[in-house]
Amino acid sequence: MNRVPIAVTVNGVRHEAEVESRLLLVDFLREELDLVGVHIGCEHGVCGTCTVLMNGESIRSCITFAVQADGAELTTVESLAQGETLHPLQEAFWEKQGLQCGYCTPGMLLRSLELLRENPQPSADEVREAISSNLCRCTGYQFIIDSVLEAAEQMGA
Amino acid sequence: MATAHHPPTRDLSRERKWVGKSIRRVEDPKFLRGRGNYIDDMRVPGMLHAALVRSPYAHARILRIDVEAARQLPGVFAVVTGAQAAELTDPLPDFGPAADKHVWRCLAVDKVRYVGEGVAAIVAESRYVAEDAADLVEVEYEQLAPVVDPEAALAPDAAIIHEPLGTNLAYERTFTFGEVDRDFAEADLIVSDRLRWHRSGGQPLETVGAIATYEIGTGMMTIQTNSLSFTSYLFMLAGTLKIPPNRLDMQPHPAGGSFGTKLFATKVSAIAGMLSKVVGRPVKYVEDRIDNISNCDHHGSDRVYYADLAVMRDGTLRSLRVHTIDDYGAYIQFGVGHHGNALAQATGPYHIGSLEYGVKAVLTNKCQQGAYRGFGSEVHNWMLERMVDLAARELHMDPAEIRRANFIRKDEFPYFIPTGNVYDSGDYEGVLDKALALADYEGCREMQRQAREEGRYVGIGLVTCQERSVFSATEFWFWFDEPAAPVTSMPESITLRVGALGDITATLYSCAFWGNSPETMVAQLVAEEFDVEPHDVSVIYAGSRNGLPATGPGGSRTTVMLAGAIEGATERIKEKAFKVAEHMLEANVDDLEWREGGVQVKGSPGTRKSLGDIALQTHLFKHSLPEEIESGLEASKVYDHPYTTMPSADRSDLGVFYPFVGHACHIPIVEVDIETGQVRFLKYVAVHDCGTLVNPRSLAGHITGGVMQGIGTALYEQFVYDETGNLLTQSYLDYLIPTAMEAPEFVIGHQETPSPWTPHGIKGGGEGGRMMAPAAVAAAIDDALAPIGVRARVLPATPSRLLELINGAKQATAEPA
Amino acid sequence: MLAADPQDTSVLAGGQSLIPMMNFRVALPGNLVDINFLDELDYIRLDDGWLAIGARVRQSALERSDLAAREAPLLTEALQFVAHPPVRHRGTVVGSIAHADPAAELPAVLRALDGEVVVRGELGERRVPASELFQGPLTTTVSPGEMITEVRVPARSPAGGAVVEISRRVSDFAIAGAAVSLWGDGAQPAAIALFGVGPIPVRAQAAEALLSDRYGAPSTEVGAAAMSEVSPSGDIHGSAEYRRSVAGVCVERALARARKGGS
Repeated sequence: MNRVPIAVTVNGVRHEAEVESRLLLVDFLREELDLVGVHIGCEHGVCGTCTVLMNGESIRSCITFAVQADGAELTTVESLAQGETLHPLQEAFWEKQGLQCGYCTPGMLLRSLELLRENPQPSADEVREAISSNLCRCTGYQFIIDSVLEAAEQMGA
Repeated sequence: MATAHHPPTRDLSRERKWVGKSIRRVEDPKFLRGRGNYIDDMRVPGMLHAALVRSPYAHARILRIDVEAARQLPGVFAVVTGAQAAELTDPLPDFGPAADKHVWRCLAVDKVRYVGEGVAAIVAESRYVAEDAADLVEVEYEQLAPVVDPEAALAPDAAIIHEPLGTNLAYERTFTFGEVDRDFAEADLIVSDRLRWHRSGGQPLETVGAIATYEIGTGMMTIQTNSLSFTSYLFMLAGTLKIPPNRLDMQPHPAGGSFGTKLFATKVSAIAGMLSKVVGRPVKYVEDRIDNISNCDHHGSDRVYYADLAVMRDGTLRSLRVHTIDDYGAYIQFGVGHHGNALAQATGPYHIGSLEYGVKAVLTNKCQQGAYRGFGSEVHNWMLERMVDLAARELHMDPAEIRRANFIRKDEFPYFIPTGNVYDSGDYEGVLDKALALADYEGCREMQRQAREEGRYVGIGLVTCQERSVFSATEFWFWFDEPAAPVTSMPESITLRVGALGDITATLYSCAFWGNSPETMVAQLVAEEFDVEPHDVSVIYAGSRNGLPATGPGGSRTTVMLAGAIEGATERIKEKAFKVAEHMLEANVDDLEWREGGVQVKGSPGTRKSLGDIALQTHLFKHSLPEEIESGLEASKVYDHPYTTMPSADRSDLGVFYPFVGHACHIPIVEVDIETGQVRFLKYVAVHDCGTLVNPRSLAGHITGGVMQGIGTALYEQFVYDETGNLLTQSYLDYLIPTAMEAPEFVIGHQETPSPWTPHGIKGGGEGGRMMAPAAVAAAIDDALAPIGVRARVLPATPSRLLELINGAKQATAEPA
Repeated sequence: MLAADPQDTSVLAGGQSLIPMMNFRVALPGNLVDINFLDELDYIRLDDGWLAIGARVRQSALERSDLAAREAPLLTEALQFVAHPPVRHRGTVVGSIAHADPAAELPAVLRALDGEVVVRGELGERRVPASELFQGPLTTTVSPGEMITEVRVPARSPAGGAVVEISRRVSDFAIAGAAVSLWGDGAQPAAIALFGVGPIPVRAQAAEALLSDRYGAPSTEVGAAAMSEVSPSGDIHGSAEYRRSVAGVCVERALARARKGGS
């Protein structure tokens, strides 16, 4: 299997690596870069637990090859908190119990981040539609929607 | 009825500071940061990776397996066939009725019994290479007749799944409680129905995984896994792995959801353990999604019901006769415990006086059943509520009216139901009234009238169901007159340690975090006893080797059982603290009181010694303590199930096995598009009564999540096997988990009718949402389509199924009589 | 590159359909030609009365394109049904068309709009009209060794248009769907394309003929006409009869919406 050199910036840090062309981006992030906040739920692009931001846009890293991220800027959940300080989205999810098992949470946080960048004051319906790209098995989505609305309020303040 | 054995009635008048508060969960920060430490996040030096070769056939003999090409692939360390696995391991832990005849192994040996069953395991340097090697394994099969329909499985000419058993009927029994025949003979009306509940499953987003490390030098097998529970039974897994039980250490990792499917899911650990022994290195096996959907050993109930309900003209429900065929798949690891579960609350919240319950457990060529939130009682709730609604329709009674008329009254508790189980407390009318008010029931009926005039099909579902909590072991074995192992222990344990500075650490056993909130529950309950900040309580999870006996989450038991264990452990610590304080304050223990997290002379706050003050003494200043007091401030408590009674010899009384019973009323409002069969929610109201709540928002979260899963079961989710046993739903493209767009907006109400017998009056509530929702959704659909006369008697009520019924009904009315 | 080993080479654009199939090990191309770095294929432009979309254009980019919204609003409307935004950030317009899933929206819209694709191979370039492109499920008349470099639709503002689909969950593959364009009472007043009802997207010719005859024919009648000309096969998400039924409903509802000046 041929190895391809790539250079990826992840959470502001540049990485150079040689990877198999079939290596999935999610496996690259988890195994090579130890960014285990990106999760694997289905490996066929349905559940969204593998969501990361590529050049600011949410994508599914389980159906993206690492080589396709060459030259891109990636954002994962690990970039949200600043040391001890959580991102307002994280605080809101904590306050409103927008998580139970936590497995869908990194994906939900990044998708919500993208939403709030595009639409800083979304309605509940808009939040509901935006997060419908990501499955959650625990919460029934209600408290996730509450969390995103809370974050929007805090971030707009 | 064994009324004498119940636990002492508690005084619940004490004011609570932390129990009842919706504090932020203690668990959350690590998950929010992506540092959850799930099993796949774990690395062990030298770790290798496993993948399985799975059967493509439902029923076939394995004639030949050729693994040479796979073995030769660079990066492959071992390939183990089922035959080799049968030398390396013994059968898996199995609580089924005839484990020596429906022998269950981690890999299939001479035949495969369902699509997805493992036939070989590969160990390689990466999962990618392991899967490359799996593709190179050649298996020659001789296909056998598949057995797919559970009723057809009982036909005399059906192929036999397990030849040593000689039949596909793994178990059958009928229980009769009370005067069923007389009640049916005296009934004014008997409503009957055939109902079909197809299998769905928990399908948490994280699959089961394990990293096993076998150290030949010490003989220790260490398995890190997201499935740790029932540690008292781990000697069975040690037996499977052919190691002494005191050389097995299972260490828990947080799980990305379970909903029952990680309850004693030993096969993954067994495979990883076996492979580690083979290669002499740590081996990680994490199921991928197809592995999990097809081979998880945790599909949900799959039942046909033949039900009759005997009713009086005034709406009184007299008797229930239920015969059910349950399609267990190719193995039956938990026996018919799922039906024991149903018997805990088989007559619902009603005065139904007698019950006949017959079950046939059938084997077929499918993945076996395991546990899924509700463990079989949710199916019974659905069936019972369908029958009550059928009666209501015949009698032209409003569904709320017929239920209210039959409710067990507030002053009748504790109430023993015909099976022998007890309901500890309840106020069913209170819950119903709350739900009706929250839903604005009258307003909804008016809205429905208007909608009908506009030609729209709006339906209001109303169900009132029980949610039993804290199971005891007898539900698994009271089925047998001479059970091989009449187990009676189902404890939960905790160790509390107060450090020298008063810092508190709680250790949980047989427990992993599954998305429930054990750390938060523990933190709040300990904080209540010691008056400390919940977020200051550190909670750790012990591996099995350091274990006190414990059961782990399941049957909504964790909060109640941990509360009991915490009560016991804090009592022991307080006892010691009093003795030390007595010495420190030079007072008599009778003059002391526990106040605000410390001990003081009664009425004299200036004398107060905090828990920290006392702890410091115990850790460092032995000579300042009474002679008989040991250093340190730590206590453990093994809390046994507080109310279990034995079944009678003739099984006319199954005893008490699920005594803390909550209740809920669900009122969903739906609209059915009769041109497409699609169902959408206008609103979903749910009022739950799980006794005293520890963290109300946490429970509300479990309710909404559980309802969502119930909606999935009712409308979207099914593991579909075709007539050849081929699994048609092998991925999330076909197994449809609802998204936020399929979710209703929830309106959740609470009522708290405490249990008289548990710490703080708590009852379990984790399963409740899913235990009601399928019944509620089905009721709403039936109500919507009442003008057409269509009822949803098959779940999931997919658009295709509904449209067929709708068109059929329209045709029937169109055709001349 | 494609020509070098045509049978064992696939084009990798968005990968949103291909990579899941590779993860399932159902698609096992030995080689992938990654066109994601071909900036020259990233264009949405007017070209002699046609809206031309290059092979690298992401679905979400087309969704945001004002040009497309003006010149081919049916395409823009259809895109909201295609999976979810994270998938549309990577998936390409051409990719969805080349993949030719019978339940996909964009191939049907291409049929409705009488679009065409530009196919490039070793021997040069050719234009393939939508009516000749789709052969069967996941199969087009593009040969191994060739690739679609551009999709084109006539730039034309309709009198109305709408896409309606029935799916199990919002954003799932369609069980049945209709893409309708109304051009006004004239020679060819309406284009109705159906998806999910057969191996390839089809034009509902009987329904279109009905509207040609009577532009004001009731939507229910048009829907019934469409229903009569399809014979889908069934699967676990919808029986054959179900698909046929709801195909008619989709046409009826899409037509009703288009008539209200939808899109």
